[in-house]
Amino acid sequence: MTGELLVVARIAGRRCALGALDVKSVIEIGTITPVPRAPAWISGITALRSQALTVIDCRRALGLAEADWPTDHRAVVVADGGHSYALMVDSIEDITTAEGEAGQVPGGFGAEWSRVASGMIETLAGPALMLDLAALLAGPEVARHEFEAAV
Amino acid sequence: MNDLLADFIAETREMLEASGGELVAWEADPADRARLDTIFRFVHTVKGNCGFFDFPRLAGLSHAAEDALADCRAGRRDPDQQLVTAVLAIIDRIALMIDAIEAGENLDSFGPEGGDEALIAALDACSDTALSVQLDVALDAAGSPFHAPAEAVPGTGEDQTAPARRSETAGAAAQGQRTIRLPVELLDRVMSGVSDMVLARNDLAHRLRQAGNQPTIDGPFERLTTILSDVRDAITRMRMQRIETLFGALPRLIRDLSAELGKQVMVDLDGGDVELDREMIETIRDPLTHILRNAIDHGIEAPSARLAQGKREIGLIAIAARQSGNTIAIVISDDGRGLDEERIAAKAVQTGLITAAERAAMPRDKILNLIFEPGFSTAETVSNVSGRGVGLDVVRQNLEKVGGTIKVSSAPGEGTLFSLQIPLTLSIIAGLTVEVGGHRFAIPQSYVEEIVQASARALEFTRMGETALVTFRGNRVPCLMLGEVLGVTSCEIAASEPTLVMLRLASGDLFALAVEGIHNHGDLVVKPLAPAVMRTGLYAGSTLLDDGQPVLLLDVANIAAQAQLVSDTRARVLTPLDEETATTANALRAMLFTDFTGRRCAMRLELVQRIETAPVTAIDRSAARPRVVIDGMILPLVGLPDAPLTTPRVRLLRLSDGACELLYAVREVEDAVELTEMLHPVPEDPLAEAVTLIGGVPVTLVDAHELFARHGEPPVAADRPRCVLPEGEWARTILAPLVASAGYVVVPEDMADESAIGIIFEDVYEVAEALGRPLPARVIRLRDQPEAPPGSQSVYRYDREALLAALAAANRNPARTPIGEAA
Repeated sequence: MTGELLVVARIAGRRCALGALDVKSVIEIGTITPVPRAPAWISGITALRSQALTVIDCRRALGLAEADWPTDHRAVVVADGGHSYALMVDSIEDITTAEGEAGQVPGGFGAEWSRVASGMIETLAGPALMLDLAALLAGPEVARHEFEAAV
Repeated sequence: MNDLLADFIAETREMLEASGGELVAWEADPADRARLDTIFRFVHTVKGNCGFFDFPRLAGLSHAAEDALADCRAGRRDPDQQLVTAVLAIIDRIALMIDAIEAGENLDSFGPEGGDEALIAALDACSDTALSVQLDVALDAAGSPFHAPAEAVPGTGEDQTAPARRSETAGAAAQGQRTIRLPVELLDRVMSGVSDMVLARNDLAHRLRQAGNQPTIDGPFERLTTILSDVRDAITRMRMQRIETLFGALPRLIRDLSAELGKQVMVDLDGGDVELDREMIETIRDPLTHILRNAIDHGIEAPSARLAQGKREIGLIAIAARQSGNTIAIVISDDGRGLDEERIAAKAVQTGLITAAERAAMPRDKILNLIFEPGFSTAETVSNVSGRGVGLDVVRQNLEKVGGTIKVSSAPGEGTLFSLQIPLTLSIIAGLTVEVGGHRFAIPQSYVEEIVQASARALEFTRMGETALVTFRGNRVPCLMLGEVLGVTSCEIAASEPTLVMLRLASGDLFALAVEGIHNHGDLVVKPLAPAVMRTGLYAGSTLLDDGQPVLLLDVANIAAQAQLVSDTRARVLTPLDEETATTANALRAMLFTDFTGRRCAMRLELVQRIETAPVTAIDRSAARPRVVIDGMILPLVGLPDAPLTTPRVRLLRLSDGACELLYAVREVEDAVELTEMLHPVPEDPLAEAVTLIGGVPVTLVDAHELFARHGEPPVAADRPRCVLPEGEWARTILAPLVASAGYVVVPEDMADESAIGIIFEDVYEVAEALGRPLPARVIRLRDQPEAPPGSQSVYRYDREALLAALAAANRNPARTPIGEAA
């Protein structure tokens, strides 16, 4: 039992978990300034106090269509590589403790999910997909490039 | 002691850096006394300071150089090339020793004790009269106060006098500043704290503006703003250093390299006032040096080869720095032979970097940029200058390590241009906010040359294929539609009346960016963007506006590069300067207008300061020469029609010949035009310099000389005339506003001086006069009845016109004048 604290959120209808240490805060998302010519999974930038956050649409970052699942007005703020991001999710469910390590399931999680998930994790709130933040923030193009490179 | 030593090292370094340029200048003109003095002071200070520490070799070297220079100062010896070289060699040795001392190394690494003798001997050997000089030196050393023997220094009065003398001679710049060392992280924390404070202030300012005027809050808020901007300046300066500190050493480096390689090179430095993070300056020092080595070694041809190609014998290396958002652009260009595409390609194929098939498909600029690939070096013979095993790949690696980039472009036979982009992780820059398609973006002010707002027709906006062109100052300039660049749909109306932001790149290229509107400009705190956003290549950072909205800072350089607007070779330096001034001088520009007689006239544009709009009430036509009050100044006015003005406001051209100002009333201001047609003199009209054609229509060019000769006068009464009013409610409530609106300051009687105009009721005046009481020097008497009694010099108190005329007349007349009849 590792007891790692997790933030459990719903992305595209699936329950996902993020390490609580990665999560800086949960904010009400304000006005989003769009970024023309940026990849579609970047919704824009928004201000958090004097900081500018890059707003990531998690559904699109996974490579899924956005229309099927509405997003919450709240967003998870995470930091990676010195930059802060606001992750738009369907909803934020809970903060809970992990019960064990992330593990794989036979058959995987599907192409989109396998890229960003480090495995399934059992939590007090039930099983969730443990997300790899860096992979999520790399965007769906990376997967496509890797795929093309492999071909 | 350790602190002392650190100070000594720091001070010596500082002086070494500062004197680098001086040395080269001195060499160019060994007779230059001021340079000689600077260098003398340097070696003298080093020698003096060595006394505090046990550095006999350092003292010996500096002493010898000082002696030789002292001889030059005293006129016993003429500084020649050999002496300069010898002194430079000693200064270099001193620099090396300082490095060794800082590293805690033993100075023995410079060879045995006697190793310095050769350098010292070189000082003397180059002199024709070596022997006598040495004698002189020996004698002089004992007598001159400047030659205090080193061993006499510690613990004596010299402690105080040595630095004191330095401060006298070297001035405040070289005076030792008290310093402390701080960890960089601490500075970073303070910096970002202050940046956040600026944003909080901006937010507060925005809210205050919304809440309206609140005098009790506005005052302290203003103070907070002032303090904050002071603190911010200081904090920014803590980490920042002018790039000059880096540039300062370059002339010397270039001089040494070109001397070694038998080439003649001139250096042109620009943008030394650009400030850069101290650490960043250190990071780019080596890459810059390397590029310069390459340029001199491989780029610049030998003088004879240059002459054969019709170039100037002396090669030119230009280094320009520009701040652009949170990056600094440094452009290094030479006018040498340029890069050889074929050789680079051949080498790349040979070393296996690319295949022959790939080569065939590669465009020129891709091939040129192969020189940054690891394991690439085209030098056929490895010289000791650039062939040191460190290639341009290392330069690129070092720059990329700090998030910078390097690119090269070149035209065969014309030169090579390296452009470096170096980031400033956090910075506050002046920026301009523009709008397109409902989005706002910021542009670094440093790029903005000018903002042009005009109809598409006036700008001769044309589409050449996909490229848009506008005419700016007679030149066709490429124009980018910001909306198209960003893929944002812009509204139709704005597109027909675009606002153009003229942007000048570090390479000297000019282009226009069409936007829909300009919002405001101000200081922007630039924050880095996430890598995924940076990959678009359009943005350099983000910043928060006053209202807390984040906006994106456009990466102007990259946008231009993506649109291929950056020329292959530098435009700025290659154009000879005299030609540039000649073209601007040839193009005579004038302001085209219609005067009140309906005549189309032109006024030389240099004369026109600006276009004023003045209310008719500001014009005084009572005197022979009309005058107008503008900004509290009374200025002569010409060009008014004889008939009274019918409009409430008049357009005026404010002209200046440098000393005098003059306003020229016009019916309509048309445009600034270029006078290209022949000028035909008009001898019959003294006020016309010539008649010329503009667009096929004759236009009279106003003779400015005659105009100023007739009407010019220096601006008067910059301080507003003062006026004392009579006592009473009527004067306070009815007279005072009228007087004040006419441009006079109403002062209480006890504050009035000689120059104040007194307005007094007739009856009071008569009593005062009868009793012999003192009266103001200039006085206007008011009467209560509309009809003037015979012989009265008074003004009816409700005769506004007469009152104003009387005030104006009194103001022009320093002496006491009876006023009233004039009305």
